[in-house]
Amino acid sequence: MRQQDFSDRHPSFMAGLEPLSRRGFLRGSVLAGAALSAGCARLLGRKEAPEALEYEHLEPNEVRTLRRLTEVLIPASEGLPSSIEEVPTLGNIDSMAGKMPPQTRELFGLALWVFERRPMVSFSFTRFSNLDDDDALEYIRSMQQASFFERGLTTTLKTVVTLNYWRDERTWPALDYWGPVTEKWGVTRLGNAPLPRA
Amino acid sequence: MRNVNVPRDGVPVTQAKDVAADPSLGKKFRLRADVVIVGSGGGGSVAAYELAKAGLDVLVLESGRYYPSSRFTEHLGDSMQLIWRDQAGQVNTSADVVFAEGQCMGGSTVIGGCVMQHPPDWVFQRWVDNHGLADLAPEKLAPYFNQVGQEQQVHVNESHEINACAHKVIQGCERMGFSWQPVTRNVKRCALTGHCLAGCPSDRKMSALVTHLPWASAYGARMFADTQVTQVRTRSGRATGVDAVVMDPDSGSEVARMAVDAEVVVVAGGAIQTPMLLQRSQISDPSGQLGKNLAVQPFTQALAEFPEDLHAFRGALVGVQVDEFFDTDGYFFYSGLAEPEQMLAQGYLGAGQDHIDFMKKYKRMAALNAFSIDEGNGEVQWEGDAVNGSKKIKWNPGRSEFENVKRTAALAARIFFSAGASRVYLPTYQHLAVDSVFDLDQTLDQVDYGLNGMYTFRMNSFSAQGTCRMGLDKYAAVVDPDGECHETKGLFVADGSLFPEPMPAPPQWTVQVVAKHIANRILERRDGLFIQGNSA
Ligand SMILES: Cc1cc2nc3c(=O)[nH]c(=O)nc-3n(C[C@H](O)[C@H](O)[C@H](O)COP(=O)(O)OP(=O)(O)OC[C@H]3O[C@@H](n4cnc5c(N)ncnc54)[C@H](O)[C@@H]3O)c2cc1C
Repeated sequence: MRQQDFSDRHPSFMAGLEPLSRRGFLRGSVLAGAALSAGCARLLGRKEAPEALEYEHLEPNEVRTLRRLTEVLIPASEGLPSSIEEVPTLGNIDSMAGKMPPQTRELFGLALWVFERRPMVSFSFTRFSNLDDDDALEYIRSMQQASFFERGLTTTLKTVVTLNYWRDERTWPALDYWGPVTEKWGVTRLGNAPLPRA
Repeated sequence: MRNVNVPRDGVPVTQAKDVAADPSLGKKFRLRADVVIVGSGGGGSVAAYELAKAGLDVLVLESGRYYPSSRFTEHLGDSMQLIWRDQAGQVNTSADVVFAEGQCMGGSTVIGGCVMQHPPDWVFQRWVDNHGLADLAPEKLAPYFNQVGQEQQVHVNESHEINACAHKVIQGCERMGFSWQPVTRNVKRCALTGHCLAGCPSDRKMSALVTHLPWASAYGARMFADTQVTQVRTRSGRATGVDAVVMDPDSGSEVARMAVDAEVVVVAGGAIQTPMLLQRSQISDPSGQLGKNLAVQPFTQALAEFPEDLHAFRGALVGVQVDEFFDTDGYFFYSGLAEPEQMLAQGYLGAGQDHIDFMKKYKRMAALNAFSIDEGNGEVQWEGDAVNGSKKIKWNPGRSEFENVKRTAALAARIFFSAGASRVYLPTYQHLAVDSVFDLDQTLDQVDYGLNGMYTFRMNSFSAQGTCRMGLDKYAAVVDPDGECHETKGLFVADGSLFPEPMPAPPQWTVQVVAKHIANRILERRDGLFIQGNSA
């Protein structure tokens, strides 16, 4: 399939988003998978938040959309580390973007572009990152209940953000999740199974 | 007498870094073997073991990395990054169904859920009646099932392997009058960590990594990881070997090219990759079925919230199955709640405080994975040339398949409500949860088939099958009853792609059994296959 380039980004998308879906845009699951693995602090070296305000792989406008989405999706809550200040959610997404194949990376950028501008239709020409908390939440909820395209788009971005937060071990005590246990419990490794008898 | 020693731990595997460090190999090298096996998962590992044990010179080539269990971290994200194909992002063309697959030494057996199920005899009787597979009649396969069962330490879950999640399913079934059973699993002395999908660091899961691969190696099989087979070579209707590329698993850069000369090629790359390799190799296929008949066993997960803490992620991942609808509808259900990250692969998610509340209920959640049998109408296609082409997995639910998925989700929800759930989160792309069984049907009615069922239910496939279907008739099937391509002598398939019809059961045990049968047929036909003579 030929990929259109970014010069195609045009407000005419706003009228109807279906053309994007025909371009195989809704790679929610691809991104979800990449999010799980790319956010792995242990393998990639955890960046302590607050990160330098530079991201290697995300563009500044993408960072703006993602930061707002992160704040709105995962607000401060008793017993949980902050999704912006403590857990490097955006840093993790940045690493994730760096590991995406070019085609997926392009689609991710496009998803953010559309998500950022979609509210202009119903929120008096305001972009997502400029909406106040209540409007931003309302926008996300209405996208989740809308056409299949919007559901896919919203689910994708929500999954990317939330995975890159909850995969951080610091969030687990609040869930009462025990994490890795084999070493902690001193479970012995059995090694290879013996050869079956003939 | 041969000296057969199974290594205590790990498998001797040549990796890209070893190839890079060996100046004698250079950038292009050539190997010879009696049999080259493509893929080291459920099918490939069993074939390697059987053929090496019989004295053949076996070479196994695996595209994924060698990730020994001593390095497993019980962190799903680590495993997904390193050993799940496309980082768990292999999807259909509309990108709403995930096709999970292992890509490592041991293939999907390394990340599997450990459920081992012997399908009912009628499944194999249909293979006999409809596809001429007399050698796969139930009574002929029975000894193979026994053998694999013993090799894999298959046992029925004991009471300590039934965790809180499974208990909720049992309670619900009892109230509904549904039949349930403890599942059979291939685990030896389970440590009850619940981390099966990330790989078992204490070697209790009997994956190929700790069974058939080290055993094959003990009998002399050689193994390469990081080695992607790009083409099967043929001449005058005979397989002559394969071409492969050795790649650095971290950077993806090419380390060397390998050519293998072998009179028998066994392709066991799994039901998604195998047909594409044969398509790239332009293998003659009079049936026109190569890559077609893809069955996916779509499954969704119903998550239920209970008033009390369950910590249902603790203990053996899969405890019980609901088999009430197995024979009548082809539905099957398994209890199992994995890591917190898996909650996010569910549909609900929420936003803001709603999302936080949802996640904080993890300890009060139980999950039931609802599978249905599909019609096998999907297709896998390699598009473009061998080097620059790309894969296409075409599968979206038809209307009746969609209705089945919906019905399984509804049944799973009912089971949980009967067990006392206060809320069930539905596995949909819409944000749907139900607080009472009386609202269930009405809520599910909001999920409309729409356009090809796209972005309706959050479906996954762990068990693709059927893309190189087996059968007697060369105009209807890709491979013959021995697993050999109808028109290419010496080219065998030994993996989940062989299943001639969608199967209503988790496939691993059957894949291993069929691979044993195929290895056996290769050995029985040894004189005709190895015309250049073979050492054994
Ligand atoms: C997450 C998960 C959980 C599962 N849980 C269960 C379960 O509980 N019970 C059950 O019965 N089944 C389960 N399955 C399914 C089961 O694991 C598979 O059906 C079985 O392993 C299939 O064996 P296979 O040989 O066809 O393919 P695989 O085991 O997938 O092996 C194929 C191997 O071939 C390699 N390969 C592919 N193409 C090439 C190439 N061109 N060159 C070199 N190498 C190549 C791949 O990298 C892979 O390692 C699960 C699967 C997954 C993904």
